[in-house]
Amino acid sequence: MTDTTSNTDTPRLQAERDAGGSIVDLSVTVNGTHHQVSVEARRPLSDVIREDIGLTGTHLGCEHGVCGACTVLIDGEPARSCLMLGAQAEGTEITTIEGLAGPDGELHPIQQAMMEAHGFQCAFCAPGFLMSAVALLDENPDPTTAEIREELSGNLCRCTGYQSIVAGVETAVRVMKESGK
Amino acid sequence: MSSTNRSGLVGQSVQRVEDDRLLRGNGQYIADLDPDNVVHAVFVRSPMPHAKINSIDASAARRAPGVVAVITGDDLKDTTHPFPPLLMLPGLYTPMYHALSADKVRLVGDPVAVVLAESRALAEDAIELVEVDYEPLEPVADIADALSPSSEPLWEKAGSNVVMDHTDTFGDIDAVFAGADRVITERFECQRQSNQPMETRGSLVMVDDDGHMTIHNATQSSHALRWLVAALTDKQSMGASLKAIAKNKDRRSSFASGMKSFLQSNSDDLKDQDNSGAAAQFKKDKSFLGAMNKIGVGLLAKESYPTVKAQDIGGGFGAKGSIAREDIAVAAAALSVGRPVKWIEDRIENLMDGGQAREESMTVSIAVDNDGTFRGLKVDMVMDQGAYPGFPVGAPMISKMIKVMFPGSYKWDAYEIRSRIVATNKGKYVAYRGPWANETWARERMIDVTAAALGISPAELRLKNMIGEDAMPTAMITGPTIDATMSTRKTLEHALTLVDMEQFEADRAEAAERGHCLGIGIASYHEAAPGPPNYWDSINPGSGMLMPEEGYTTIEADGSVVIYTSQMPHGQSHETTYAQVAADELGVALDDVKLVYGNTDKTSFSLIGTGGSRGGPIGGGVVRKTSREVRRQIAEKAADMLECAADDVEIIDGNIHVAGVPARGITFAEVAKQAADDGAKGDKYGTPFEYGTNYNGAGDGGWSTATQICVVDIDLGTGKVTFPRYLVVEDCGPIINPAIVNGQVRGGVAQGIGSVLYEQATYDEDANLQSATYMDYLLPTAMEIPEVEVHHLETHSEGFENDFRGVGEGGMIGAPAAVTNAIENALSDYNARVTTQYLPPTKILELAGQISPD
Amino acid sequence: MKAPPFIYHRPETLDEALALLTEHGDDAKVLAGGQSLIPLMGLRMGRPAHVVDIGRVPKLDAIHVDSDGAVTIGALVRHEQANKSPAIAEHAPLIAQTMPWVAHRAIRTRGTVVGSIAHADPAAEMPAVVLATQATMTATSTRGDRTIAANDFFEGYLDTALEADEILTSVTFPAWPANAVSAVTEVARRHGDYALVGFVGKLVVGDDNVITDAALAFLGAASTAVRVTAAEAVLQGAPANDESFAAAAEVVSAELEPPSDIHGSTAYRKHLAGTLTLRGLQSAANRIGASA
Repeated sequence: MTDTTSNTDTPRLQAERDAGGSIVDLSVTVNGTHHQVSVEARRPLSDVIREDIGLTGTHLGCEHGVCGACTVLIDGEPARSCLMLGAQAEGTEITTIEGLAGPDGELHPIQQAMMEAHGFQCAFCAPGFLMSAVALLDENPDPTTAEIREELSGNLCRCTGYQSIVAGVETAVRVMKESGK
Repeated sequence: MSSTNRSGLVGQSVQRVEDDRLLRGNGQYIADLDPDNVVHAVFVRSPMPHAKINSIDASAARRAPGVVAVITGDDLKDTTHPFPPLLMLPGLYTPMYHALSADKVRLVGDPVAVVLAESRALAEDAIELVEVDYEPLEPVADIADALSPSSEPLWEKAGSNVVMDHTDTFGDIDAVFAGADRVITERFECQRQSNQPMETRGSLVMVDDDGHMTIHNATQSSHALRWLVAALTDKQSMGASLKAIAKNKDRRSSFASGMKSFLQSNSDDLKDQDNSGAAAQFKKDKSFLGAMNKIGVGLLAKESYPTVKAQDIGGGFGAKGSIAREDIAVAAAALSVGRPVKWIEDRIENLMDGGQAREESMTVSIAVDNDGTFRGLKVDMVMDQGAYPGFPVGAPMISKMIKVMFPGSYKWDAYEIRSRIVATNKGKYVAYRGPWANETWARERMIDVTAAALGISPAELRLKNMIGEDAMPTAMITGPTIDATMSTRKTLEHALTLVDMEQFEADRAEAAERGHCLGIGIASYHEAAPGPPNYWDSINPGSGMLMPEEGYTTIEADGSVVIYTSQMPHGQSHETTYAQVAADELGVALDDVKLVYGNTDKTSFSLIGTGGSRGGPIGGGVVRKTSREVRRQIAEKAADMLECAADDVEIIDGNIHVAGVPARGITFAEVAKQAADDGAKGDKYGTPFEYGTNYNGAGDGGWSTATQICVVDIDLGTGKVTFPRYLVVEDCGPIINPAIVNGQVRGGVAQGIGSVLYEQATYDEDANLQSATYMDYLLPTAMEIPEVEVHHLETHSEGFENDFRGVGEGGMIGAPAAVTNAIENALSDYNARVTTQYLPPTKILELAGQISPD
Repeated sequence: MKAPPFIYHRPETLDEALALLTEHGDDAKVLAGGQSLIPLMGLRMGRPAHVVDIGRVPKLDAIHVDSDGAVTIGALVRHEQANKSPAIAEHAPLIAQTMPWVAHRAIRTRGTVVGSIAHADPAAEMPAVVLATQATMTATSTRGDRTIAANDFFEGYLDTALEADEILTSVTFPAWPANAVSAVTEVARRHGDYALVGFVGKLVVGDDNVITDAALAFLGAASTAVRVTAAEAVLQGAPANDESFAAAAEVVSAELEPPSDIHGSTAYRKHLAGTLTLRGLQSAANRIGASA
């Protein structure tokens, strides 16, 4: 599948050239779909995902790498998309929150578990927590509560006090074990 | 009331309706909107805390690549009105100021111009090219500076940096203090904090070809924003406004009739208002009357008022209840450039001026008898409101809440509070979750200080003085009625049964062996959620008119249930809880109910929106009342169709039938169609069944209460504090959704723990912000926040059909007191006296005598 | 919070990268993991005219173990790669102990070990590890390779002996002595934050429980990572017991003069450094069961 959204002639990119910034042609795969876009070299990957590719499920809470809301998987590993240039993601496979559910819309066990556990409130932080949790469970399918808390400590939530989010991960662990996923 | 239609959803932790879209990443927050041709706004902000603006040269910025326009403070003076004084209290000076500063800056971050460009990055390039000639003024960095008569006034017309000084006295304070065995005095200081929702503020403003403005905004208060933008933008001369009014008679008469009905429905509150505040304001600044006249006439002349919209909002905690200067500037910019203008605040801006709170100094004296009986209470409070007052709710209103609530759940013979508000060169003071919470902190802290002085245990001293059911009904010394819903004593008694003190003492001894200090702390309180009818009048006469909210339940022609609310959900799960309430009343399934919110074209006017613990009691009460009435209408119509009495109609799972005969039922769609065919058409939404009511929660109890007890563990080697145990016993009356209530309590406690151990909006002695990033303003993580046990009591307010009470603020209100009390208790061997709310590791080790202050 | 504009270069070879640095000198910045550089640029505290992204340069992502056991880490080895590397676990246990302390996983997957050393943040872990192990830095430019000793590398806050045209292509950690034990411990305001103070320690203890070598390095305690040689001297030749460790801790507290900031005072950090020294040494000693 290819979704090409490249347009090098926008007023934005013209002005960027005038401002002395490079424009890069970027080729990435996001949630299984290939994208070819022209973006400012200074544009962080988070902005590329949200504004150029149009997947707004990934959020920006601080843009300096502390809050974790922008966490995505890059070639399967969690990373802060605000701390990378889009250009650095050339050729990678990226997974965002929109890529968690199955093709038929079936929720990923972590999504289902968060729903059951009342994991989030405003849910602005949710994309980062979900991607961090997925990364944790990929590597360690049976984490202790302490391990879950440590792994999630790179993500800030202001609403919940975290207990419900931790419970959501624990629920997902149980469900995934039972279903053998 | 028939109970036969209940689906039994209220009281269950049903899964959230919101979650499917939010967990898929399909939510729609303000930053997600990206209309064609949008321009990005970035504010030029002052790097100086306090300075005169001699000149601004934006010519280079205007020529910069991608720049569409640069609007300065001077430009905005021509097109917008200043923020008017809204709450005029006796002894208060309220400044008027424009969205952008043109003459003077009053904090680091003060907006002086806005750049519009093709991308946020290009706009950030251009703001560096705006040359502002500042002439520095002496900064006013803290309360001590502001109280000094020689400090440079932020507001010349105020005459000094003390903008309010007012004393309220209840009872014969002098006699009570003279007659008590002892008077104990301590001063408590709370540091500046910040709400810090994970989503920053933001606004996207579009003006269509007909001049109609649509504002997408992450606001807790959509209608207030709508009216303020209408009032302050698109400024015309008085003559032009009057001409427009004369030309359009319809508008004039409809406005006049709207005004008349508002005056009529709030006549008692209006009569009660104390006008001495306005008189005092007039004395200091006569121009406000003229400005308000111009604003009023300008409003009357408007062709149309903006539409404010929001779907998902990423938290607020009060900060998004403020109408920002940036909101006005962005709207004015959209009017001037003819393209959609989008402003998404970044985190640095948010930490600078997205809302700060809680900086209060309180000197508290307790007059007490040797047996522990509380006699009198005196408080001398100074609040630091920063550079600009929060609008519409800022330090003045909150000072009144503190005044009313400071005596807490205890009996006093006399009480006096002096409230001063000072202006300093810091971020604006806004309402932050339980805005009055420092009354609980200082009072509960002071009770522990008193207990230590008297040699009585903190629990015993509280129980000795706390008002119990035997004394009810009664009233707080400050006025509000106390009924059974003021169940603080029950929460304390229950909480004490959950703690094994012998085990705690054993743990404490064991910890001491390891160089750790354990301590236990209690905090008990009640909060107005929404408070009894006379609560708001005790705050300020006439302010009861802030309370009502109008909402509707409708049944559309296809039988679907649609609820309209003026609430602005931003994490509280209204779509779920309101559906639970409506579904129970109507006898339908949860997902048969749809909630419409966040669009001022579709919802009724509300001054507040979501805030002040209104979502459950007021908004939820509206849903219950209106759904109940619509159910009655449906039963009546169905009775005709089923040929039975309305009282015999039963509705289960959407099946409307004669009681006991479900097989011969009819559907909502059938009844709605019949009603529509018979000509039923609601006035507001045109649906076959609809009912709306304006509800103020009056008469339905009104207090939520809680006791928090925590155990802290202090490592003397590192000053780090952990929580072996944290428990909350809360009573918010009947619970709609326990999982949601637990989430509110735990989230509040987490913020309260943050307040004590991690969070400080830090300024240096020259009022330069030191905490402008998340590396320096520290929100606690999952490693810092413990598990919090939540125990529920459900005291009912007898005799009232709607009894939901708010629970969003209590966790935050109690936690700083419980935690600081526990820390002082832990360090009792070191004679520590905790008088500041902020206790970072350095302070902990200073209190423990391990280190000396630098 | 958007970076200023720059010219972006993505060289395919090391020579190409070095040529770019030679050409642009101080106007250029090397981008590897970017976990420090990107936020600095976003805050407009870093504004290079040229960014040289070495992410595609081949062969820089290797962890090499020499025949004598020395470990060489290339410029593109990520923290998380080191964290999971069996070679590091076996031959560089101190680095293995350090990695979990570095920020959070989503930072470690991108940030590089060598980049952290080149960035020279005094509150980061790796500079202290370099000092404790006496690692050797290899700086490469169009002029060729040169090596820089640990004690000569860190010159000040975010300042090193690297020239503008050089890339820190690798860092070599000497072979880990078979009888050495180590510990890393730190305290931050929040888990994963830059440490208020951190301790990186190495002890070599003889069969008679006498300490024959000690290295005590600290982060967050000065304008660069530092070693406290006076405290090491206290340990040298002393029995590996709590008494010796406490004596060393006292010297550490007295010797260090960490700067005060909004997160901790000088007095606090001195106290904390002592605490961490004592606990770190106890923890290290426990690894050989040598604690008295």
